[in-house]
Amino acid sequence: MPAVTVNGTCHHFPDGTTILAACRHLGIAVPTLCHDDRLKPSGACRLCLVEIKGWNRHATACNTALIAGMEIETHSPAVEDVRRTLLELLVHDYPGELVERSAEKEFHRWLKHYRIAVPEDTRGISVSSPEDPDAAAAPDQFRDATHPYLHADFSKCITCFRCVRICDELQGQFVWRVWNRGDATRIRPGEAPTLLASECVSCGACVDTCPTGALEDQSVLRHGAPTDWTRTTCPYCGVGCEMNVGVREGRVVQVKPVLEAPVSKGHLCVKGRYAFDFVHAADRVTEPMIRELDRWQEVSWPEAIEHVANKFRRTLKETGPDSIGVLGSARGTNEENYLAQKFARVVLGTNNVDCCARVCHAPTAAGMRLTLGTGAATNSFDDIEHADAFLICGCNPTENHPIVGARIKQAVLRGAKLIVIDPREIELTRHADVHLQLRPGTNVPLLQALAHVIVNEGLADQAAVRDRVSNFEAFGEFIAPWTPERAAGVTGVCPDSMRRAACLYASRKPAMCFHGLGMTEHVQGTEGVMCLVNLALLTGNFGQPGTGVNPLRGQNNVQGSAHMGCEPDNLTGYVPLDQGRDVFEAVWQAAVPRTPGLNLMQMIDAAHDHRLKALWAIGYDVALTNPHAATTKAALSKLDFIVVQDLFMNELAREFGHVFLPACSSFEKDGTFMNSERRVQRVRKAMEPIGASRPDWQIVCQIARAMGFESRFDFHSAQEIWNEVRAVWKAGAGITYARLERGGLQWPCPTEDHPGTTILHADSFPVGLRAPLSQIEFTASAETVSPDFPFLLSTGRTLYQFNAGTMTMRTPNARLRGTDTLDMAPADAERLKLRDRDRVRVRSRHGEVILPVQTDVRVKPGELFATFHTAQVSLNSLTSLYRDTVVSTPEYKVVAVSVERV
Amino acid sequence: MAETPDVPPARPGPGRDLDSFYHLAGCPLAGKVCNGTACFVARHLNPSRWADAQRQTPRVYCLGQCFDAPAECGSPARPHIESRSPKTVILQRLITGGARTLAAYQAQGGYRALEKALRHSSADLIHTIETSELRGRGGAGFPVGRKWRSAATQPPGEKFIVVNADEGDAGAFIDRFLLEDDPHAVIEGMLLAAHATRATKGWVYLRSEYLAAKPILEHALTEARRAGFLGQGALGAGHSFDIHVQVGNGSYVCGEETALLRSLEGKRPEVMARPPYAAEHGLWGRPTVMNNVETLAAVPWIVEHGADKYRALGCSTSRGTKVVSLNSLFRRPGLYEVEFGVSIRQIVEDFGGGLRDEAKFKGVMIGGPLAGIIPPPLLETPFGFEELRSIGASVGHGGVIAFDSHTHIVALLHHVFSFGAYESCGKCTPCRLGSRRIERVLGEVLETGATNYWEEKDCESIIAALKWASLCGLGTGLAEFAESALAHYGKELESCLR
Repeated sequence: MPAVTVNGTCHHFPDGTTILAACRHLGIAVPTLCHDDRLKPSGACRLCLVEIKGWNRHATACNTALIAGMEIETHSPAVEDVRRTLLELLVHDYPGELVERSAEKEFHRWLKHYRIAVPEDTRGISVSSPEDPDAAAAPDQFRDATHPYLHADFSKCITCFRCVRICDELQGQFVWRVWNRGDATRIRPGEAPTLLASECVSCGACVDTCPTGALEDQSVLRHGAPTDWTRTTCPYCGVGCEMNVGVREGRVVQVKPVLEAPVSKGHLCVKGRYAFDFVHAADRVTEPMIRELDRWQEVSWPEAIEHVANKFRRTLKETGPDSIGVLGSARGTNEENYLAQKFARVVLGTNNVDCCARVCHAPTAAGMRLTLGTGAATNSFDDIEHADAFLICGCNPTENHPIVGARIKQAVLRGAKLIVIDPREIELTRHADVHLQLRPGTNVPLLQALAHVIVNEGLADQAAVRDRVSNFEAFGEFIAPWTPERAAGVTGVCPDSMRRAACLYASRKPAMCFHGLGMTEHVQGTEGVMCLVNLALLTGNFGQPGTGVNPLRGQNNVQGSAHMGCEPDNLTGYVPLDQGRDVFEAVWQAAVPRTPGLNLMQMIDAAHDHRLKALWAIGYDVALTNPHAATTKAALSKLDFIVVQDLFMNELAREFGHVFLPACSSFEKDGTFMNSERRVQRVRKAMEPIGASRPDWQIVCQIARAMGFESRFDFHSAQEIWNEVRAVWKAGAGITYARLERGGLQWPCPTEDHPGTTILHADSFPVGLRAPLSQIEFTASAETVSPDFPFLLSTGRTLYQFNAGTMTMRTPNARLRGTDTLDMAPADAERLKLRDRDRVRVRSRHGEVILPVQTDVRVKPGELFATFHTAQVSLNSLTSLYRDTVVSTPEYKVVAVSVERV
Repeated sequence: MAETPDVPPARPGPGRDLDSFYHLAGCPLAGKVCNGTACFVARHLNPSRWADAQRQTPRVYCLGQCFDAPAECGSPARPHIESRSPKTVILQRLITGGARTLAAYQAQGGYRALEKALRHSSADLIHTIETSELRGRGGAGFPVGRKWRSAATQPPGEKFIVVNADEGDAGAFIDRFLLEDDPHAVIEGMLLAAHATRATKGWVYLRSEYLAAKPILEHALTEARRAGFLGQGALGAGHSFDIHVQVGNGSYVCGEETALLRSLEGKRPEVMARPPYAAEHGLWGRPTVMNNVETLAAVPWIVEHGADKYRALGCSTSRGTKVVSLNSLFRRPGLYEVEFGVSIRQIVEDFGGGLRDEAKFKGVMIGGPLAGIIPPPLLETPFGFEELRSIGASVGHGGVIAFDSHTHIVALLHHVFSFGAYESCGKCTPCRLGSRRIERVLGEVLETGATNYWEEKDCESIIAALKWASLCGLGTGLAEFAESALAHYGKELESCLR
């Protein structure tokens, strides 16, 4: 720990501390322009120069590490003179009027601090006007006002290179390129004329770091800078990035990344950073409504509440508790989902409660619980930087979990190995060592072949199979016939690639596995996950930093909504219905119903059979997102009473709803979300709810109270609800709001002095010291191609849109990607004489849709990919009724279809 | 580009943005004239050629023909080559007509040092080089043995030797003729460095202005490969070594170590802050020894004749010999091998024979334009690293440019700042903006004779910023040059600057 003298006083700092970090710690303001804590120091601007006694030259504080005995002078007259000169050089051709207009920019603050005279009018003065014809031929300063979110005007650029470095070092997109040299140096997005034409993914990191306003958020230019900031958690995917929400005059005008956030580390993607305008969308429903004679009538809240309570009471009386279903969702906080299931069980007396985890990672939760004992990610995102290899299965992180995608990409750029298992060439395959481009629906034989190679070629981890795995011998016999050659026929992957992948995963340790819905949304979803767990167990890739099996959860709080008990078979904390009821009954002062509940898919079946009569859907558009739209809609139309609680008149409400309860967005309420890595993080209210809209938890409480459960739903804040969650959920008891103020916590966290758990299964599994290797037989999907349906279609998301499009389609993201498309291999398009944007009719055995075609080299011939973001296309008209055999998750990823021009 | 190690590309491949950094990318040199400092100070000898140079785009800073300046590309002129040292370490073969072929090199004792070294351990070789007190000849004068030891002690794995053959300091043409006439000496030096450090691959980063050197070097490498000096097991069982040639694209900054490495890696060749040093974290992150051409050419002699023989030459902390190159204003321009410790006066008057013109001798610039000027009163200074440093000058590459009363000091300043602004990589603020600003001010002074411009524009603050705040030697060198001009030619400057 070097002892150094700074401005005359002695201090100790940890090894490796830079002079700048030390100064900041001491509260000494050393000016910087090219520095950003998220980036490797570059020492380009030279403003942070300090004097060090005995050195024959000054040192830049940002990239000079402390050495014991250093005597540092940070503000000597000579150094301050140099700083002034540097600022004068930088401001020489700078548009001076900006300095007052946006005084908060770093460059402007230092100009003011050093009282640097600002040029009054620089129009007509070019920045360099180099006389060399060579430099004059250089591209002009880049200007671009065409992007919906990013505004560029490099006449304000001071060449600190932060935009270039953050794009390279944080996002890994390499959009900004440096042209020419010397004072003719220019920064532009490669050779693209605009950002939209470049490889830019609109993450806005460059804008966030720009110290001058050369790059600026369009929203700020349009609405002005925010006046109030609130730290909260992103409402989109399950990564759980933290963001600061900037509000001006009751409107969200800017979102910036939280620099010290453990998950996102000062980064956000286009959705978190920019797609917030849905909050203020013109069609936001802000008054309660009841549909009478097919017309929606605005009513008061008391009227709406009473109406819903009466209807539920009547249904209970007429057809019993199990004729009502409740759906929570990822849109709600943990507190709200907890209340939704408590409502179902306590007020209604039914276990008919589910959430959107049913259609995504229920197979993960089941498969991992069956094998490892805990149905959630084993490791943390911070393990990415420890892993030496990645196995990416059926997920597309750079589009759907962009911050995790960026972190993986950076790790791979630093030398980690990458194996991608995906039918498409996702962005990460560009960086991959092996891409196993399997036929959709063949995860099980592929993963079995990898296990075969690991066992057969002696690549299994000896200590792991000896000490932590229970049935290695038997598994060895079971896996013997699963050769890569055998799998090759089913999967379409060459055996050598499988061998290379298995070898990399087993030998480059620690190796970390991430998987997504490409693993789970299959008839063998749960089984596929269990095969994946086999690989981790065989290679000892668990319980250590940089290892594990880690589902990437698709939505902000899908982990939390199921975990809070919005599952028919499980109570809060994934406690099975028949275990631990006492705790719940004591806290709830009510019996936990014994009849097994229906999951979402079973609810649809029950509705079809008139067994289910009423449905309350909180933040969940099942009409658009459930598979086999014809069946779903037929079932929904048979229900007597549907309550839709949402921000917008979604498809479920529009076609089938009877009551609409206007909820508010996560920007307008308090609570917590739980991310993919079991981390509970705070959601904080950044603005008042719009109109009469309310947080979901208040609405649930009001209906419960209206139905006579005053004392058990007498909550006045999200925190009060959370404290009840802590009372019923042992592994979360230590997570208090007070602790969450200091940052998120990962369960298990049983006591208030427990630090939380970043890595599961270090010494044992909840199922015991050893975990079993699963012997899975492969049953192929019934969805197969035929001469009538020659293509295999997979459905999924894209970077710019999110699920049902409810939020993103109401933001300028719609300009970045405004429609669902059918992505097709160029060879197929040529054969069918289709060109981009041609409208095609896609038919499956279950229905048909019409949408534009888009040729895409990332798709293999014979296969197709399409998004499901819009009601106009309603892609789920095509998907089948096939479901995972264990948890009923629909097979969204495999549909045989035909394509013809409209 | 030669095959790269097992490292993924950092970005999706270099594009036109990278090319735009280099001013000679895709630009044939034929017919180009030189804009270098030696040609500038000799412009009165061929005014029309200099006029061409001023109009020329892109510029060419130093073709390595300063003995024949103002120079034109492709001129067959050869310099006078002579040793004025008691022992000739470097120039022996050049004096006798060169050794471009393996046969010629071996006939003069070539590769004997390598044979000898291979009979001994790497540690012995490093010890020999350390004992010789050989210092780098590229300008910084860093002890070669220490650099080798540092790389040798890095954990085993891929290690690289990179030859900095980017002799860009105007006025120097030493490495050019070593590469053209004695390529095997450089190759043998690289092999010795590889033996010492257990390096596995070598690169010669050759500046594009040295057109003739590439085919000669490639031919020598082919011969060496065929003879088994390079390739599989070249340095004993299990130690292979091969060498690739990479030609630059026109950029002075690429002679700087970190920029050169980035250029080799196909990245924008900006200067990077050190540490980390190349010996630990160099090319593609691997331990890398970078040596200059002349440095490596001295190594076989040291190995063959012994460290003590080498150490016996020279003065104080500058041991051995150094080749200096004298520009066309001397009576006897050319290459001279001198022992460290001779006075600058001896170099100028005895070896170079003084200036050829009657015009008044005004001073010499040693080691290129980015160092202090040595005015006549300081000519007694001994030629040595620390000795020159103490008067604000530098050994640099060993280029010696004398200038005379044909060149006004303001014009020389303007020329040098114009060079600096043209070659700045653009990364650090003072060099990117400061060098151009001073060039402009001086240009206006030359044009208008404005008297207060220098002070009004606060040029001395900019020079201080260049001196204290520049990221690399380009900016600090400009400041040192300007400071020495102000110190030694104050009277001449006063008339127009103050």
